[in-house]
Order: sequence, then C-alpha cells, then structure tokens
Amino acid sequence: MAIRTQSLHPHPSPLPTREREQSYSKVITGNHAVSYGALLARVQVISAYPITPQTQVVELLSEFCANGTLHAKFIKVESEHSAMAALIGAASAGARAFTATSAHGLALMHEMLHWAAGARLPIVMANINRAMGPPWSVWTDQNDSLSQRDTGWMQIYCESNQEVLDTVLQAYRVAERVSLPAMLVLDAFVLSHTAEAVEIPSQSLVDQYLPPYRAGYKLDVSDPHAFGGLAPPDVYMELRYQIQKAHEAALGEFARADEEFERLFGRRYGLIESYYADDAELIVVTSGTVTSTARDVIDELRAEGHRVGLLKIRLFRPFPIELVRQALMPAKKIAVIDRNIGFGVGGIFAQEIKSALYNAPVRPALFGFVAGLGGRDITPEVLREIVDYAETHQEPEDLIWVGVKT
Amino acid sequence: MNRANFVLPEIELMSSGHLGCQGCGGALAMRYVLKALGEKTVIVLPACCWTIIAGPFPYSTLKVPVLHTAFETAAVAASGVRAALDIQGDTETTVVAWAGDGGTVDIGLQSLSGAAERNENILYICYDNEAYMNTGIQRSGATPRFAWTTTTPEKNPKAERKKDIVAIMAAHRIPYTATATIAYPDDLIRKVQKAKSLQGMKFLHILAPCPPGWRIASEDAIKIARLAVQARVFPLYEIEDGERYTLNAPHEREIIPAEEYFKLQGRFAHLGPQEREQMQQEIERNWARLQRLVQMKAPSDDGA
Amino acid sequence: MGRAITFRSVAEMPPLAISLDDISHNKTGSWRYLRPVYRNKIPPCRAGCPAGNDIPRWLALVAEGRLTEAWKTIRENNPFPGITGRVCAHPCEAYCNRKEFDEPIAIAALERHVADEAFALHDEPPSGERRREKIAIVGSGPAGLSCAYFLAKQNYPVTIYEAESQPGGMLRLGIPSYRLPRDVIDKEIDDIVRLGVEIKTGYRVGRDIDLERLWASYDALFIATGAYRSRPLGIPGEELPGVLAGLDVLKAINTGRKISLGERVLVIGGGNTAMDAARTALRLGARVTVIYRRTRAEMPAIPEEIAQAEAEGVEFLFLAAPQKIERVHGRLRVHLIRMQLGEPDKSGRRRPVPLPNSEFVLEADALLKAIGEDPDLDFLAEELETSEGIVIHNERGRLSRAGIFLGGDARTGPSTVVEAIADGKAASKAIQRYLRSPSRTASALLPERFAPEKIKLNTSYFAHQARVPVLELPPEERQHGFAEVKAPLWLEDAIVEAQRCFSCGVCNACDNCRVFCPDVAISRVNGLYHVNLEYCKGCGICAAECPRGCIDLIEEGR
Repeated sequence: MAIRTQSLHPHPSPLPTREREQSYSKVITGNHAVSYGALLARVQVISAYPITPQTQVVELLSEFCANGTLHAKFIKVESEHSAMAALIGAASAGARAFTATSAHGLALMHEMLHWAAGARLPIVMANINRAMGPPWSVWTDQNDSLSQRDTGWMQIYCESNQEVLDTVLQAYRVAERVSLPAMLVLDAFVLSHTAEAVEIPSQSLVDQYLPPYRAGYKLDVSDPHAFGGLAPPDVYMELRYQIQKAHEAALGEFARADEEFERLFGRRYGLIESYYADDAELIVVTSGTVTSTARDVIDELRAEGHRVGLLKIRLFRPFPIELVRQALMPAKKIAVIDRNIGFGVGGIFAQEIKSALYNAPVRPALFGFVAGLGGRDITPEVLREIVDYAETHQEPEDLIWVGVKT
Repeated sequence: MNRANFVLPEIELMSSGHLGCQGCGGALAMRYVLKALGEKTVIVLPACCWTIIAGPFPYSTLKVPVLHTAFETAAVAASGVRAALDIQGDTETTVVAWAGDGGTVDIGLQSLSGAAERNENILYICYDNEAYMNTGIQRSGATPRFAWTTTTPEKNPKAERKKDIVAIMAAHRIPYTATATIAYPDDLIRKVQKAKSLQGMKFLHILAPCPPGWRIASEDAIKIARLAVQARVFPLYEIEDGERYTLNAPHEREIIPAEEYFKLQGRFAHLGPQEREQMQQEIERNWARLQRLVQMKAPSDDGA
Repeated sequence: MGRAITFRSVAEMPPLAISLDDISHNKTGSWRYLRPVYRNKIPPCRAGCPAGNDIPRWLALVAEGRLTEAWKTIRENNPFPGITGRVCAHPCEAYCNRKEFDEPIAIAALERHVADEAFALHDEPPSGERRREKIAIVGSGPAGLSCAYFLAKQNYPVTIYEAESQPGGMLRLGIPSYRLPRDVIDKEIDDIVRLGVEIKTGYRVGRDIDLERLWASYDALFIATGAYRSRPLGIPGEELPGVLAGLDVLKAINTGRKISLGERVLVIGGGNTAMDAARTALRLGARVTVIYRRTRAEMPAIPEEIAQAEAEGVEFLFLAAPQKIERVHGRLRVHLIRMQLGEPDKSGRRRPVPLPNSEFVLEADALLKAIGEDPDLDFLAEELETSEGIVIHNERGRLSRAGIFLGGDARTGPSTVVEAIADGKAASKAIQRYLRSPSRTASALLPERFAPEKIKLNTSYFAHQARVPVLELPPEERQHGFAEVKAPLWLEDAIVEAQRCFSCGVCNACDNCRVFCPDVAISRVNGLYHVNLEYCKGCGICAAECPRGCIDLIEEGR
C-alpha cells in the first residue's frame, strides 16, 4: 500500500518511518480516530475546551503536540466560543485549524460557527453528538449538531471509527476546496468511547491526498486586506449567494474526494449509501451508528422475505437532494429514524427528506420516527418495531415517538 | 525651523476618508499605534466603533491586515492569528487585538483574561471611550460614575464606579500593562514600542475621548484627554510583570482640580456640588492608591 | 487615491468580504462646516516695536544657533541691532505674552547678542543698477541713518550732511559709552557706508550749506536734525555759571572734552537725558541728586536706567522743583519747593502743583537742566508752527513743499532711538512713493505700526522656565569709568532664552496640527502645512492644539 511521494509539507513529518510510510491497523476509540485523523491531516492550530464526551480527542492531540508527533500550536482556551474564535483567527492567517466539541460546547460556539462560514474558513471540527440540557445528559442524540444546521457548516455523520478517521481527511480536502467549514459528527459513547480496529493510513499517502493548506486569502502583512468588514445591503446578498453556491459545489467535491480516497486508500463511503434499496418497498432512512444496527436488521428481514432497504444519510449539509430523491423515489414507503427532535414539528431528518421530495415527480409515503434521544439504545427490536409499524400502516405519519413509556 | 513638541514616526498606515466622527479619539489612537508598530502588524477588530471606522466592504481604512471578529473574541482571535503566524514561521509580526471598552471590560473580559492567563504573545489595546458609543452611547463597565449615557439618563446617572481594568490586567501578572492617551502621543508611541519589544501578553489602556458621546466640542478632544491626565482622572503609568509600577504623568506641578475636567463635558453637566466633591475625593483616593503602588518595592527577582 | 468600487455582478466579487482598496475614495471633506486656515499673526512684541522688528522669526533662528541669519532678519527692519540691543527702551518685552506665563523674553539682550556675534559681518551691497534719483539727508542720527539704509538697500544714491565732525547724532553725542560703546556705533554706521551711502561731516545746513542749494541738487530731502535745544527752566538764575544743559555736558564728555562739575551736582528732570547726565556726573566724581517734580512712577526714563543709576549711588528727590538759583561764594544755592500731584494733564500724568510753604534750599557746585529738548528748525525757509517742539501743521511729516520730508526727533520732539529708526524707515518709503509719483500727496510720512492681533495661545505645550539673567558690572566698578555696564550673554544662554519664545501667531513648524489630525489630512511641505480639504472634517483640533494660534477656523461657505 505504501506509495512513496515527495511531501509538499514544509515541516517534515515527525512520525517514525514505519508510520510515515506504511498503513497499519490499531484498535482505537472513535475519539482517538478523530485525533489520528487530525494528526494525519497535519493540522497546524488546535484550540479546544474540555467537554464530555469529546475530551479524549484533545487529550490525545495534546499528547501528539507535547511529544512532537504533531507540529502544531494548541491553544487551550477558556471556552468553546473562544476555541472557535481562535480557529477563526488562525485560519484567517492561513493555518489548517481543528477543534472538537460536543453539545453545550457546540451551542456556545454558535455565533462563531456563523462567523467561520461567513468568513469562508475551511475549519474542521469533530462534534460528538450529545443530548442538550437541561436536564444534564452526556449521552448521544443529534440535537446539538442539527441545531447548527443553518450556520453554513458542512455536516457529515459517521458510522464507524474508520469512517471517522477517514472523514477528517475528506472533510479537510473538501473544505479547503470550497472554502467552507466542515463538521464531522459521531455518536457519543457508541463511537466516541468504543474501540475497534482502525486502519491508520500512512502519512505519505495522506499527504498525497491532502496537500498543505494554501489559503486563497489570508492575513498577510505583505498584501494587507481587511476581512469581514461591514457589508451594505447592495453586496451582502451576493456574499450569501456565494456561500450557497459553495455548498452546491461541495456536493461534487465530496463525490470526487470520496473517489480519490478510494483510489488511494481503498475505501469509499458515498454522500449517501443505499443498502438493498433498489427493489425495496420500504426504505429505512438512518444516520450515524443506528445505520450499522439497521444493516443487520435489514439482512434479517430480507431473509424473512420483507422487501426492506436502507438509506444512510452521511452528508447532511450540503444536503444531497437529488441523490436522496433518486434513492427514495422507487420505494412505496419511507421510515425516517430521527435521533433528534425539532420541537414543534418532528424529526429533523424527516423534515429534510420531506422537503427534498416535495418537488419530486413521485413522493413515497413517509413515516417520521423519533427514537433514541438522550442515549437511549436503538436496538434491533426497536428497528423491527419501526419497520413493522411502517409496513402495517398505509397512511403516512409525520411524527411517531418510539419507545416512549406512555 | 522645526521645534516639535512631538517627533513621531513618519509612517502613515491609516488612510484618510475613514468613518470616524469629527475629533474621534479612537481614530487618532489607531493612527499613533500603527505609527509605532509599522507595517508588520495585524489588527484584530471586534465589534466597536472601529468596525465602522475601518471602512465597509470592499474598503479598508488601514494599510495593515485587519480581521473583523465577534464582539467578545478580540483577545482569543488574536491568539489564533498569533498561533497561525508562529506555526508558519512568522514570529516578527505584531498581532494587536484592538477593542473598545465594552469589548474589553464587559463582553470580552473572559477571552481577555484567558489570553492573559496563557500569556499569549499579543498586544491587546483597549481604546476606552467610556461607553458603547457605536450603538449610540449606552453605559458600559468603563463608564465613569455619574456620567450621563442614553441608558443612564440625567435623572438616574450611572451609580457605579468605572471598572478598573488595568488592575485586573495587572493581577494577571502579564509582562506589561500601561495607560496612555491621545494628548500624549509620544508617551503612547513609546509604550506601544516597548510593548512590541516584549514577549508575552501586553495590555495598553488608551483613553480615547468621544466628542459626541462625552458632549464636548470636537476641537476639545485632545484638551479633554490632557485634562483627564492632569486632573488624575486618568493617570499615565506602566506596570511590569504586574508589580513594578512607574508613574509617567501627571507631575505634581501639572495637577488640576477634577472640576476643570468635568466642566467641559456635557455628560457631567447635571452633577451637583455634592457629586463633584465625591468625584474629587474618589480621584484622590485612587491617586493615593496609585502612589502606594508606585512606591511599593517589588520582591527581588530570585529567578523563580 | 482609492477607487470607488462597484460590483456589476457576483462574478466580479470576491468570495468573502475582503477589502480591495483603501477608503480614500470617501471624501470626508463634505462633512466639514468649519475650515482650518493657516494665518500667521502679528505678535504683540512686533506690534509693540515701532520699527516692526520681526522678533519671533529671528528668535527662532537664534534658538537654532543660526545667528548670521538672525542678524540678517533683524536688519530687514532695523539697521542697528547692536545699538538697539543696548539702548532701546524695548517696548517689545513689555508686550511679550510670556510675561503672563513667567517672565518676558530678554529680547534686547538677545538682539545685542546677535549683533555682537555678527560684529565681523557686513551687508552685501545691493545688486542691480543704481537709481538715478539722488537723495540728501540732513542729520546722521538714527533717523537719518535709518532712512539712508533703507534707501541704499533700494539702490538709491544717498548723501548725508552732518553738522558734527562724526556721524551718529544723538547716538554718539547724547548716549554715554557705558551704555553704548563707540565701536558699536562705528560698526553699524560703517555697515551703512558700505552700502554706498556718502556721509559729509562738518556741514551744518544753514551755515555751511544752503537748503535751497541742496534742494536744487537732489531729488528729495530728508531732514532729521534731531532735538538739541534744551528747554529752559524759566526761573531766575538760570544764566548763572554752573547752571548747564545736561545734554551739553553729555556732548562734551562724549566728544572727549574734559569737563569738571565739582563735588555736588543736582540734575533737574526725570527723562533719559537726566539719567545719562546724572550717571555721567557720578562717573566724573560728583555726588549727584536727581530732582523730579513728580514721583518715580511718572518718570519718563527707562526703568532699567533709573535702577542702574540708583545702584550706582545717584540720589533721587521726588516731588520737588527749583524756583530760583543763586550763586553764593562760588557755589549754587538752589531754592526748591515741594510739589504734590493734582489733576491729570494732557499726557495723562497727574499734574504737579506746588505745596504752599514748603520751600527749601540745596547747595551745589553744578546744576544740570534735563527737562527736555526741542528741535531747532530755524534753518528751514518755511515757517513752521510748533507746539512744545512738535510740528503740528505738518503732522504727517511732509512739509508744505513737496519732496522735503521731516522726521525723527526733529519731527516728534525728543523720543527713543527706535522711534527715530521707525521714522527714518517710514521716510524712506515716503520718499520712494514721492519719487514714483511726485504730484501725489500720498507721499506723506506714515510711520508703520503693526496692529496687534488677538492670538489664542495654547500654553499646554510650554514649560515654565526663568528668563536668562543679564549680568551687570558691579556698581562700585562702574563709578570710576565709562566701561559698558551690561555684560553679554553666553551663546548657550542665548539659545536657551530664544527657545523660550512662544512665537505667538507665527508658525514655527512645531507639527502639532499634523500630529493631532485624526483624519491624516495635514501634510508638511518645506516647513509649511497644507490641509487636504478633500478629507478634513473640520474637527478643529489643529486650531485648538496650535500652541501659537496660527490656525483660524472659518465657516464654510462664507
């Protein structure tokens, strides 16, 4: 697998030769997969604030910085808001910037998330999906990341530790090409604290995939510009238009990044992933780790004769509307599983999919299920219950609570 | 035939045409600071009057890089810029966080304290016009006691004292803390240059009179800054490592009653004799405290 | 200059809000309703100087040690810095704004310093062709010499007719050498001769040469014969031996004649002649008492002279006047009466009136009259109406006959050296106007006085600093000779003293306006400032912070 290439990075990799030149397998948690991703991406500035269940990400990165494995500045700030602000400063000055957070930390960053996207900075952040308080909860659900839906960040929901590591690399590649920040999302504990074997790609191969960041515009004393000044009404809208255009361009960039990733590393994930969906009458729509459970349940149900398929939404922003339509239109019914709740409406993925299908020529009946909030397990039994409900009901339903003790 | 009162660096990194009001002390302060720092400077600008003065997109008032950032993030965004420059090998450029008083003593205090605690190698400058001027003169933590603002109307002027940000910064034991004002540009420039020469966190508190907000004639902007120093409302001093105090001004022979300072400003026009007396006493207490600090012997440096 | 940028489509825009030019396309000058205008003003010292000496300008040069340039600058308005630096009443110092701040600038001492340092320097003769019109000047005192100097600078051929054997008039005859050394007079007259002025000594008009002949030979005449006729006391015994005119004593001593006044001398009068006569008598070994009918406050003499006389031991008797002089056993018995001050007279001073039954007697060897002098204009063909020696029907100095001008003490009665210089300068201008247009009556002699202007100083930029002291010879050393009383300044002191000048109303490129402009709208080119009105918002800081009031704010649209 080792392909020797001339590194473009000005700073030679401090990794041992073996790790620099050869991929190897290691049993690590999802959090550490994030850290390895950041290490291999050769991030230059890290800034973060402790929060469960993210903390291990930055602990390992601190180790990497301290022992010289990673040539980066780690700014140990006094809040997540500051973490993002620090990265905005760093990225504006041309550095590859990284942080990780979760739940309240992400919520605190909210203002700066808008800022990073508006400033078109390719910052990458890992968000460990954790339920929002009160009441306090450290367990997983998606309300934290989905609350940031309209900040202009790209969002990628990961299913495995391998995908987590690989997504860090893909996220930088796309972010830097379209000048947008990217957030990869992984479920608290289910991924963050669960160890599995992960192939750590060689640094030289990653360098080939992800060249050093060259900012199109940056704070440069030899070419001084002001960044982010007041935009009057006659120009503001055009700047917002360009962010939307960048999101649209990111769809293609993600697809190409995925193809190139497969060429170099032998793995691909797609923007969405269909599983037995081509001839399915009912397609279950998932994101995150529920997908893995659902795959097993689909296998069982298929064996039992059900025409059931699965659609995994990996890329949430930009939302791959056309791919979702093509994947879902052949089905008669759709069961969307939301590990979140858009209060006053229903599951957020369900809303997105409904709106994607609204202008489609064919609109399957959609059942919106809300399940697994605050870390409650979504077991194979729960999934069977969901499939059964969708199969046995003819009229679509916007919001079906799963497992609520009534 | 040049018998100059002030000999300043010739370099001009601030452009004419900026959007500062007539007699803007904040604009003048920036002009001096950039004269002191030169071209290798990055300015990080949170929400403040300078957000406007700096010019709308696609223009810039400054001939150095400027990063606009959110209100409460000046110190930390500057920390990020510093880190990025350092990691890219540029340790020479000065990174300046340039914030108003609200962005410093109120909303930005957390990130400022964080940067100070980390001893970030940045220069944080608070240009203090003693209220939220850009939003139309609302009281801030830096508004002096009894001052009128639109949120502390004459019938109920600000009851609380001005937050002592310099003491707060000194308590962080950062390498350098100093006060300056636009009436003493040579002193201001010297302090900026000194700050530039030091590693670690530097904090400069610049009193920047605001003619509209202070209800003074624009032509009196320098005069009022001078009177603030002479009346000991705003003494000029430096603090090294949070413990070695040096008083720069006023000298005993220049000292004037605070009334000379207050009477020129519409924002204090409603003050009665009692309030005026109270302010004078407060000024004298602060002055006495500063004198004690100046006389305080710093513990000898045992290399610890 | 920044451009104004318009995006016609999103394709022309950058992807983020990044500046593409500076803000200078934004012409903030449109905000302005007050415009700063640089306007130098006449400082009070200059307004107070009859000769219009441009004092701040040459003080600025002294402050930089540029003494030659300072000397040249003084001589634009005054040909005699060495003389006025010593004997001028220096009204400039009385007007100096610095006196409100601490002490006035020692302008006279600095002027003398400049002249002393320039002792070896001389004017270049004027370039260009000599003019055809010839001018004759009668009298070589400060008025005549001043007129000659200014005309010679304009290439006019000038001849001075002087009755005495040496030029200088009252400078040489009336002022003792302990105040004004002879070599200083010689040097500064020599400077004028070097400009091509011819001085014919020993020609008294009316005796040695006829005025009508002069008039026939020259295109214009300036009569500056001074005021030498001592006023009589008008009391019995005035003709007695031992009763002398103070001025005659000064003339005798100053022309090197030996004279003895005895041991006890009384001087009547309170002006400069009285002081000079008294101090001269003292130096000849007499005990001297000055008798003045008013009080010290009303004495017309320069206060410094009075103080020096007192220090040297001259006694003063105020509020007394002589009534009769007798000569008894070879000595004078002077009968005096006490006076008191009554209602103010024409001069504004309170009139002295005798106090009944207060007569007393003093004995003396000599009594010197020094109560004033009048011009002697008997040689003039025209009949002049005079009052107390002042020409009144020709009060503007132009005689009824065109082309003949009258000036100096001969016009004004006894006055100061600087007034005479001013008169001579005014005469030179009147003559030039007359020569250009002989028929015009506009050629009247108009001494120029600059009107003082209101100047708003900002004294924040000035540090308190004491005036440099001018040292004097100890009084006991002065009594035995005619050595110069006042010591020169050291160069270092002179520079420090000149640096004290506020330069009121006169821009000296201190840079405050440029330093304090919040709009970067003031630039300096060759020591002059320029306001860029495209950007100046009219805040007025430049005017407020100008230490010397050189910037006015004028309303836009006016």
